Amino acid sequence: MTIIAATNVEALVIFAIVLSITLVITYWASKRMTGAEAFWAAGRSISGVQNGLAISGDYLSAASFLGIAGLIFIFGFDGFLYSVGFLVAFLTVMFLLAERMRNAGKYTIADVLAFRLRERPARTAAALGTLTVAAFYLIAQMVGAGVLVQALVGIDFSIAVLITGVMMLCYVIFGGMLATTWVQIIKAVLLMTGILVMSLFVLERVGFNPIELFNRAAENTTAESTFSLGPGTFLSSPIDTVSLGIALVLGTAGLPHILMRFFTVPDSKAARSSVVWAMFIIGGFYVLTTFVGFGARALLGEEGVAAAGTGGNLAAPNLAQFLGGGEGTFGGDLFLAVIAAVAFATILAVVAGLVLSASGAVAHDIWSNVIRKGHDSEHEEVLVARIAAASIGAIAIAIAIIGGEGLNVSFMVGLAFAVAASANFPALLLALTWRRFNTACAVTGVLFGVLSSIVLVIISPKVWPGADAEGGALSFYDLANPGIVSIPLGFIGCWLGTMLSTERGNERQFAELHVRSETGLGAEKSGVV
Amino acid sequence: MSQTDPRIDWEAIERSPEFRELLAARRRFVLPATIFFLAWYIGFILLAGYAEDFMAESVYQGLTVGYCLALTQFVMVGVLGIMYLRRAEHVYDPLADELARRALAASSADDAPADPSQAPAR
Repeated sequence: MTIIAATNVEALVIFAIVLSITLVITYWASKRMTGAEAFWAAGRSISGVQNGLAISGDYLSAASFLGIAGLIFIFGFDGFLYSVGFLVAFLTVMFLLAERMRNAGKYTIADVLAFRLRERPARTAAALGTLTVAAFYLIAQMVGAGVLVQALVGIDFSIAVLITGVMMLCYVIFGGMLATTWVQIIKAVLLMTGILVMSLFVLERVGFNPIELFNRAAENTTAESTFSLGPGTFLSSPIDTVSLGIALVLGTAGLPHILMRFFTVPDSKAARSSVVWAMFIIGGFYVLTTFVGFGARALLGEEGVAAAGTGGNLAAPNLAQFLGGGEGTFGGDLFLAVIAAVAFATILAVVAGLVLSASGAVAHDIWSNVIRKGHDSEHEEVLVARIAAASIGAIAIAIAIIGGEGLNVSFMVGLAFAVAASANFPALLLALTWRRFNTACAVTGVLFGVLSSIVLVIISPKVWPGADAEGGALSFYDLANPGIVSIPLGFIGCWLGTMLSTERGNERQFAELHVRSETGLGAEKSGVV
Repeated sequence: MSQTDPRIDWEAIERSPEFRELLAARRRFVLPATIFFLAWYIGFILLAGYAEDFMAESVYQGLTVGYCLALTQFVMVGVLGIMYLRRAEHVYDPLADELARRALAASSADDAPADPSQAPAR
């Protein structure tokens, strides 16, 4: 069941349809592009349900769809652990950040972080956190896009990366947040429909009895299978499992492209309801991924493992082809093409959100507030945002093509979550709740979080596979996931900065931030796009 | 950054019993709920890491303890999400709206020279 090399005509046609729809939306959005608020926050006109769908579209990457289905197919239970962490994370977002972000912020997380601090150092630190997360995540998604499109459609890796990058830049540069939001909404609907149809096909084969699916999956293993209905097959080190779990549950609350979505709704009530919508959509999605992963195990079996490629990423498309009638049949090719297009739309929606958040850090934070100190016009800010998006996109495309398929995608996604959980999350949480939080605290906190995550990942066994393929650069440190060390370091960094600095917090400004974030009094008003 | 209405006395609002009541009301739910979900989730992760055999035990045919506990996480997210939504609508929003209404009324009352009263009737 190899599907490499030969160009899949059905897939190309469906890809073209999806791309055309997104371009029409971008054109429509570009007509409504009036200024900075339209560019970054879609005029704060997105409703709670729409934003819930868009959050799901922004969040569920190809790693969630193909990656988790593949991990469940190969390893069973351990793949599902990721789903649980990714979902529970939304409780952290809802209880601690969503409404406060909407009430206190404007376009970027730096708006909240630097609210009562000296603007230039605080914004620079916040922009560093955003850009680090966005860079790792973006390159990972671009490489993933190249690998997938190459395998599924037969287009060359570099061209696939280039097409993905150009589409993403079209949405962001011409359509800003409005186009990005609608691309994310359409992607969420396509993704949910695609995985629901696949799940129904799978369940139909076992008489709609999930337990029967579990049994068939467990039976369809051989002596060399890693598949298990219990834990420990993929994540073999217990402390690493715990470290990963904590990074997942706190990291989501530090992802700039997710937090940015809360600025697009009219008020904190809509922000709150959008998180609940996202929880149900994402929760439903992860339940369905299990059916796809188990379905692949039950129907494709151990012989399917080799065909599923690295990490089992092609398990879901291969299963779709099987369910449609098998290789070479019209139904099989068509179902494969549809799932491939869904996977492609999935990546496009995520990378567009990432580039938009990175452009906010460069244009709104660094250019407008640090370099120009707020004296630039709104027109200039949006122009710089478009140039920044184009540059960031071009750099990401170049790195993805030069690094090629050899770049380790899961390693970079792990790093992005670790930085988000260790740098952005502690600083944001303390900025909103801790009276003594000051500029030094923000700077040292973000620096500690970013540096500790990167250094710990560099010395980890993922990067230094030793002779025994177990130990890292240091014999006493062998964690693949740095969260359990780097997240406390992020908080300690904040605390140290406060203790060592003589800066006195401004009481009036804390009072303003506190009242504003809790009540919405004085929050940015919803405009009309 | 703070370019909001300079007539609003943020410090007075922050000290006011109404604001304290809003904070306390929210904290009464959010704090225990956060501790609960983190404990339940980290407990699950610890079991997955350190109690592999227990998690792999079969409850009913192919359904293992691990999957049952994972499903409780999904249920927990849904239940806590809905609970928070309801509380926010029925308790926090009315408190916050009332607070905002009074603050804006007070700041516009400062403007009106002939009206010294703090909260005009509405």
